[in-house]
Amino acid sequence: MAAIGVHLGCTSACVAVYKDGRAHVVANDAGDRVTPAVVAYSENEEVVGLAAKQSRIRNISNTVMKVKQILGRSPGDLQVQKYITESKCPVIEKNGKFQYEIDTGEETKLVNPEDVVKLIFSKMKETAQSALGSDVSDVVITVPFDFGENQKNALGEAAGAAGFNVLRLIHEPSAALLAYGIGQDSPTGKSNVLVYKLGGTSLSISVIEVNSGMYRVLATNTDDSIGGVYFTEALAQYLASEFQRSFKHDVRGNARAMMKLMNSADVAKHSLSTLGSANCFVDSLYDGLDFDCNVSRARFELICSPLFNKCIEVIKNLLEQVEFTSDDINKVVLCGGSARIPKLQQLIKDLFPAVELLNSIPPDEVIPIGAATEAGILVGKENILLEEEPLAIECSAKDILVKGVDESGANRFTILFPSGTPLPARRQHTLQAPGSISSVCLELYEAIGKHSAKDENKFAQIILQDLDKKENGLHDILAVLTMKRDGSLHVTCTDQDTGKCEAITVEVAS
Amino acid sequence: MLLLPGAPDGQGTAVTRALSAASVICQVEPVGRWYEAFIKRRNRNISASFQELEDKKELSEESEDEELQLEEFPMLKTLDPKDWKNQDHYAVLGLGHIRYRATQKQIKAAHKAMVLKHHPDKRKAAGEPIAEGENDYFTCITKAYEMLSDPVKRRAFNSIDPTFDNSVPSKNEAKDNFFEVFSPVFERNSRWSNKKNVPKLGDMNSSFEDVDAFYSFWYNFDSWREFSYLDEEEKEKAECRDERRWIEKQNRAARAQRKKEEMNRIRTLVDNAYSCDPRIKKFKEEEKAKKEAEKKAKVEAKRKEQEAKEKQRQAELEAARLAKEKEEEEVRQQALLAKKEKEIQKKAIKKERQKLRTSCKNWNYFSDSEAESVKMMEEIEKLCDRLELTSLQCLNDVLTSTTKEEGKAAVEKQIEEINEQIRKEKEEAEARIRQASKSTEKSTGGGGSSSKNWSEDDLQLLIKAVNLFPAGTNSRWEVIANYMNLHSSSGIKRTAKDVISKAKSLQKLDPHQKDDINKKAFDKFKKEHGVVPQSDSAAPSERFEGPCTDFTPWTTEEQKLLEQALKTYPVNTPERWEKIASAVPGRSKKDCMKRYKELVEMVKAKKAAQEQVMNASRAKK
Repeated sequence: MAAIGVHLGCTSACVAVYKDGRAHVVANDAGDRVTPAVVAYSENEEVVGLAAKQSRIRNISNTVMKVKQILGRSPGDLQVQKYITESKCPVIEKNGKFQYEIDTGEETKLVNPEDVVKLIFSKMKETAQSALGSDVSDVVITVPFDFGENQKNALGEAAGAAGFNVLRLIHEPSAALLAYGIGQDSPTGKSNVLVYKLGGTSLSISVIEVNSGMYRVLATNTDDSIGGVYFTEALAQYLASEFQRSFKHDVRGNARAMMKLMNSADVAKHSLSTLGSANCFVDSLYDGLDFDCNVSRARFELICSPLFNKCIEVIKNLLEQVEFTSDDINKVVLCGGSARIPKLQQLIKDLFPAVELLNSIPPDEVIPIGAATEAGILVGKENILLEEEPLAIECSAKDILVKGVDESGANRFTILFPSGTPLPARRQHTLQAPGSISSVCLELYEAIGKHSAKDENKFAQIILQDLDKKENGLHDILAVLTMKRDGSLHVTCTDQDTGKCEAITVEVAS
Repeated sequence: MLLLPGAPDGQGTAVTRALSAASVICQVEPVGRWYEAFIKRRNRNISASFQELEDKKELSEESEDEELQLEEFPMLKTLDPKDWKNQDHYAVLGLGHIRYRATQKQIKAAHKAMVLKHHPDKRKAAGEPIAEGENDYFTCITKAYEMLSDPVKRRAFNSIDPTFDNSVPSKNEAKDNFFEVFSPVFERNSRWSNKKNVPKLGDMNSSFEDVDAFYSFWYNFDSWREFSYLDEEEKEKAECRDERRWIEKQNRAARAQRKKEEMNRIRTLVDNAYSCDPRIKKFKEEEKAKKEAEKKAKVEAKRKEQEAKEKQRQAELEAARLAKEKEEEEVRQQALLAKKEKEIQKKAIKKERQKLRTSCKNWNYFSDSEAESVKMMEEIEKLCDRLELTSLQCLNDVLTSTTKEEGKAAVEKQIEEINEQIRKEKEEAEARIRQASKSTEKSTGGGGSSSKNWSEDDLQLLIKAVNLFPAGTNSRWEVIANYMNLHSSSGIKRTAKDVISKAKSLQKLDPHQKDDINKKAFDKFKKEHGVVPQSDSAAPSERFEGPCTDFTPWTTEEQKLLEQALKTYPVNTPERWEKIASAVPGRSKKDCMKRYKELVEMVKAKKAAQEQVMNASRAKK
């Protein structure tokens, strides 16, 4: 059973298929693994993808870009006004909805953002079908964390119109985690993961807690003043100044010339992620003059250094918000095409020196792969509950710890049952005690955060007596903690040698 | 490596205090297989973590109450295994007090207990007598378990549970204590329902919705009760297929019959309950009262509305009447005022006239002679008649404030003006009269205006043209009109229509008049010249040359040369016109062709004119 995952970004869309137990990204008919989310309208046809992007120099007012920013927005939205003024294709408001005004020769026609998205989705579907060789409609689509209800509905509508059967809409950061399979192997343990997504027009960072194989977003932040496009723009501005320096012509006011420079800068930026220097060459940029310029990676990093600073600043702010230090983050996942920039990866690595930086999957393919993985989990399942809201479940409020001593004799605490575990849950641990003693005591404490347990937080103790003494050995004590949905705890301790068993039930103070 | 400490002496396992925080609600992302597993568990409403615990608990509970409550069936040992169908299986297994509520586990456990106690081997050991083979009462236990352990068979047995009270209370029973009588009946019948959550009968205070839901549930009662247990024949016993089929048919009919009866029973029960239900009565009365109230309110509202309407209508009428009266009053007032004004004006004018007359008289009408003064008097009278009030006043002012001479001048000026005015008016009147007479003439004359413009020459030309182009010529009247336009000397353009109308009017004229015209024409022609054709041909040649102003006129030499050439090269000569052109020096082929055409035209016209003349002279004779 094949299923696909689709990620629709502001600038590009990508599709991954789940087949034979693994997800992989498929290339479109142009051979690219990522398709620009651009739709160009001409008199009698609509062009999606690279061709549309390339033809925008001549057809700028009939080329719809960044449709995701407009989709499902209501005119009351403050943010959307900025997007509309930025849009090269005229956007008008009609009946409380936005529509693109497309001028097709004789008449102007109005196009809903949904229809534009539908075209993109159709293209993605075609791509997946040509790769699979069969029809496929089951799909998981990713949405940003800050997508509202209307936007999700609009997206779902567009997907339905494109012939998709939407299994579920999932959040982009969760999809990124799923792509790396974080927490999927064993359902125990708890870790914090930072998802760093630098897309075409926005930077969104999320801190996700992984507990029992389930993801919980602790904090998220989206900044739409940083994005891949801004890097390109900075480079294009630099190229324009270079041109002015050598030819004494200012092309900044010339939209078409700037567009050519942007295209050239885009290509150069991409190659600078792998090469030390890149050549920008534009034939007949302005007044018949050819432009040729070599940009080194160091030069690029210098040009974009304010942007890099901003990128890192956002992470620091978010960590402050959740009161985390960089040590509290266990993993960092990079996604979004611009996360390829080597300088950026270096800066993040500097910020989290002890942390594994996950970038083995190409960053712009992480999210669709995660979506496809989710689609693989869901496909074929009956009665998939399509909850509109992420499900609210009961979680344990505090860590449950046990007190012990380490080799040096100092008191130490170990977490037996971490906070934030979805309930009901059972955790079992094998604890050890020196074989020389005949009785063992488990002192149980509750605590929150990093404040270490104090004596007043002790709530129970379990004592196993009359154990067989082992001179050169250890007692293995199996402790099973079970917490019900209301938060009451049941603890059973068993000595593996003698089978002696003690159990307690702790209720929640009302 | 963490090691657990040893226990201090004298302390045991203890919970010192309760946990401080309950669980918190968190939102998780709906992704990953563990999420799916979690949701699945949750939807099945069991928890893997707790399943074992809870199972154990349940089991212990069950075993406990079974040991306590298994009831021995006193008649067990007297049962006849052959009559198993009529035995009470629940009682046989010692579950007589739980019956249909018993779980599968309980049945299993009960069977186990019974086997342990009543197994023939056990009893043999105890020295009890045992019947041979199937005849032992232990077979009943086995049969009972067989029936109850299979859910289908158990349901069949449950359906005809011998302890079930099928009775339906009659209407009379429930007259006074409806709830006490019907409540338990519905309670026990509700066990047949396929649907869970059977609505309760409720009490006197139940809401209308509840009662409605209750009765709609019971009227659409969906029962699982079936009567296969009572089948007369057993299908399994049949020896062949046909027999089996027959049995099946019989059984089906019997079951359907019983099912029908059952449905009727339920129906009767609900009907009885419905008719006796004091709440239904209450609701009906309430409804009735409400309807009545509504009706009343409606009638009241209607009446009020009508009253209001009537009032409004009256008010409107009154207002209209008042308005009318007022208007009339105003009109009257105005008329009165106008009348007064008029009178005042009249008086003023009279006064002014008198004044003028007297002032004029005072100056002896500005003259000395009798006749002049009489004439002046007349003029003054005219002035008095015609002048407006204001101008009269002005004149009077002038007369009173100035000398005699100036006054005379002013009066004379006025008189002049008046005379001028009178003259103008007269002229206008005349013009009007003329116009009127003209228009009448036009309408009667039928193209009278155009007829005016037909001169003698034109008439002649027209007659000539009509004769030249006799009836049957293609678009005859256009051609005639064209001919007229070409040849007429008057320069008036005529359309086909004009020509037609004129020709018709000419036809109407008596032949004498026609002859007259012709004669006149002939006289004129005689008078003018002996060479009419000359003049006739001259006119067209001028016109033909008119449009082609750029080329030079043909000289006589050239003309002669051309005529010579035309003769030398007859019509069928190849390239005739080239040769002709070469014969005439200074002229191109085109020029020659044109000239030839002109000549032909001329000759034709000449001939036509001659013919005309001949005709005219013939007619004269």
